[in-house]
Amino acid sequence: MLQTSSNGRDALAGIRVIECGDFVAPSFAAKQLADLGADVIKIETPGHGDTARRRGPYAGEPDPERSGFYLYLNTNKRGIAVDLQRREGHEILARLARDADLIIHNVAPDEIAAQGLDDATLRAANPRLVVTSISPFGLDGPNRDLRMHDINLWAGGGAASLNGGGPGSDDMPPLKGFGHQAGFQAGLNAAVAALGAVYGALISGEGQLVEVSMQECITSILEMAYEFYPYMGLVASRLGHKPIQPLDFLECKDGWIFICCVEEHQWQRFVDLAGNPEWASMELFENRIARAANWDALQIFLGEYAAERTVDELYHAAQARRIPFAPVSTMGDLLSSEHLKVRGFFVTIDDGAGGDVVMPGAPYVHATTPWRIRKRAPRLGEDTDSVLADLGYDAATRERLRAAGVIA
Amino acid sequence: MSDQRTTRPLAGIRVADFTWVWAGPFCTLQLAHLGAEVIRVESASRTCVTRLLPPWPDGQPGVNRSGYFNQYNQGKRSIALDLKDAQGMQVARDLIRQSDIVVENFAAGVFERMGLGYSVCRELKSDVILISMSGYGASGPESEYVSYGPAQVPMSGLSSLTGYRGWRPMHIGISYGDPTAGLQGAVAVLAALIHRRKTGEGQFIDLSQWESTMALLPEGILAQSMAGSAPERDGNHDALWAPHAIYRCAGDDRWVSIAAADDDEWRRLASVVDPALASDPRFATAALRKQNEDALDAAIGAWCATRTAEQTRDILQAAGVAAYPVMTAKDLHDDPHLGSRRYFVDLPHPEVGTRRHMGIPYKLHRTPLAVWRAAPCLGEDTDYVLREVLGYDEEHVAALRDAGTLS
Repeated sequence: MLQTSSNGRDALAGIRVIECGDFVAPSFAAKQLADLGADVIKIETPGHGDTARRRGPYAGEPDPERSGFYLYLNTNKRGIAVDLQRREGHEILARLARDADLIIHNVAPDEIAAQGLDDATLRAANPRLVVTSISPFGLDGPNRDLRMHDINLWAGGGAASLNGGGPGSDDMPPLKGFGHQAGFQAGLNAAVAALGAVYGALISGEGQLVEVSMQECITSILEMAYEFYPYMGLVASRLGHKPIQPLDFLECKDGWIFICCVEEHQWQRFVDLAGNPEWASMELFENRIARAANWDALQIFLGEYAAERTVDELYHAAQARRIPFAPVSTMGDLLSSEHLKVRGFFVTIDDGAGGDVVMPGAPYVHATTPWRIRKRAPRLGEDTDSVLADLGYDAATRERLRAAGVIA
Repeated sequence: MSDQRTTRPLAGIRVADFTWVWAGPFCTLQLAHLGAEVIRVESASRTCVTRLLPPWPDGQPGVNRSGYFNQYNQGKRSIALDLKDAQGMQVARDLIRQSDIVVENFAAGVFERMGLGYSVCRELKSDVILISMSGYGASGPESEYVSYGPAQVPMSGLSSLTGYRGWRPMHIGISYGDPTAGLQGAVAVLAALIHRRKTGEGQFIDLSQWESTMALLPEGILAQSMAGSAPERDGNHDALWAPHAIYRCAGDDRWVSIAAADDDEWRRLASVVDPALASDPRFATAALRKQNEDALDAAIGAWCATRTAEQTRDILQAAGVAAYPVMTAKDLHDDPHLGSRRYFVDLPHPEVGTRRHMGIPYKLHRTPLAVWRAAPCLGEDTDYVLREVLGYDEEHVAALRDAGTLS
């Protein structure tokens, strides 16, 4: 029997999860469960390991054991290195699956069987098992086997069409959001769907196959932009003027602020905060639609106002009047925020090599079973020996598998 | 009953949904997708913001006509209830007594001041799970600040990392913190539900939209905390991989995204675009391609400019290169792949007719999920909730209606 590593004060204590595949989507899906107490065993490829190991950031020289992205995405997991292209690798996976509640992977649909992940076979040996497959386009349909990276999914799901360009710069390309947001969205959706299926299996005793299409994850968050087409025949565009203003960036003395007056009362309170300047009473700016149509002019007045103030000054003064301005936070601003400090949001984790890493902590706080760090991310193959021993592989067999390159 | 999907995992779970705008409704949408009975508590005097926003068919506003509301409230019920009225509050408490999960996304402290905080909910239902999804979280010096969806993007740090090289910070085009918090909230609630199943214990969950969005920005935050500086804004480029960009294609504002993650992918791309590129020493390694990225983009951009986005995709994908058009709403609406997967939902609605909506991005194979009906009209299920869920008799319902409580 596999030993488990959490206790009853974690929401997902006793839930065993196997993660395989690569990079953001499955790692983040499983991280969310691990941080809530699930016992997650991550399978990586011997030698290379997860792509996040090669992404950094690094405190010093690049080192696959000290990549910040990896250390963040894999908190609270155990790690084993197994070659799932090999028959002996499939056997290890099958033994793990016998004792698991959930497998999460993003192995390409046409590779699933070759990597020992056929869900019907795995579930025959363990009926309560939930197998969650994440893929760019889902498990069927004409695009199933297309090759996609994060930027392609952000574009292919429709989000890139909504950003970039704008007045005076409509020749600029559609612009993606920073980072690997398609991977994160897929990881979120996979965690939702997988936990739903695991809850169902706790009641019925029956697991199932769950599939997540990354493209559909992005399409599902286009806000009202998609519906303009079926409702009004209009295609939302990133180009031209915004429909209402102010809802934009202004440069202050020491950084940028986002000013946000959606409702008329918010604008009036802002005008009051600004000391009722003459320009505010101009007909050009009489309502939010006029303010958008004449944003070129309004922007100049507002810009002059903001330029004389600090971000903090304007942010807190606006919020004191219930106007929803927000700082355009730099990473430094976030790390030094008093509010986040009081809430204990950032956590410090050792990197396993003598360094400390400060990273985002709990995205939500459960009062009874709080999100918590029990252990740092695993080094490549750190738990291979102990996990395989628990599965019944004796020392001689492990040695043979290691020599053959099946495990590391 | 026709609306019970008895096999879905959350069948039998009831959610009292006090949410509005997008973050909260996106959380309860996931629970509805998974089979929970989600009952929106709404009122005509304090209408959900999205009921008042376009798009509307024929441009005619109406609380039941918004595509924004109708998108994110599919498969839920609606009771109209005046919560400023003591009898209305009694109905709300009765609903919580019959619910497993309570979800709200007011600013911190508001739900409590309404008389419905966790201690009250727990008295009404001892194992209840309450999630509060405020902008800033329930504690901390800024907890009562107002938070709007569009402002969460800059607040989270995403804007300072997003933008063209050398340009000012930019938005990302959607109120990204809202759906992110909604999904994070659904994860938090499902985990609490699993804990309750094992222990019989409910609990309070404090979610901050700000924090749940920062959880998606480790690449920026850790660059600062580990290496001392945040990544520079660099358009669609990647820190390590090149090419990695969106290129203009033939046609009116048509674009394609192309990325190569390693030398193999680069060689396949180069062999299609121009075999001379494959042997060009400026592009021989990932580091060199990154160093000479402007020249690289110019060469690939010139090739894309004479082809449609779809041709570009087809040619490059046939060679094993990651390339895909920038899809517009119309492209998605007409997309054969999404069509073949039956992703979209076309359900009749009494006021807007049958309109196409975005569906569920995950599938459960043994217990299939489906949106069982379009988003509710305001108060559409008032009678059902009072009679079937709360067990009120006809007289009781009539008295509430006469008193104006049910609007």
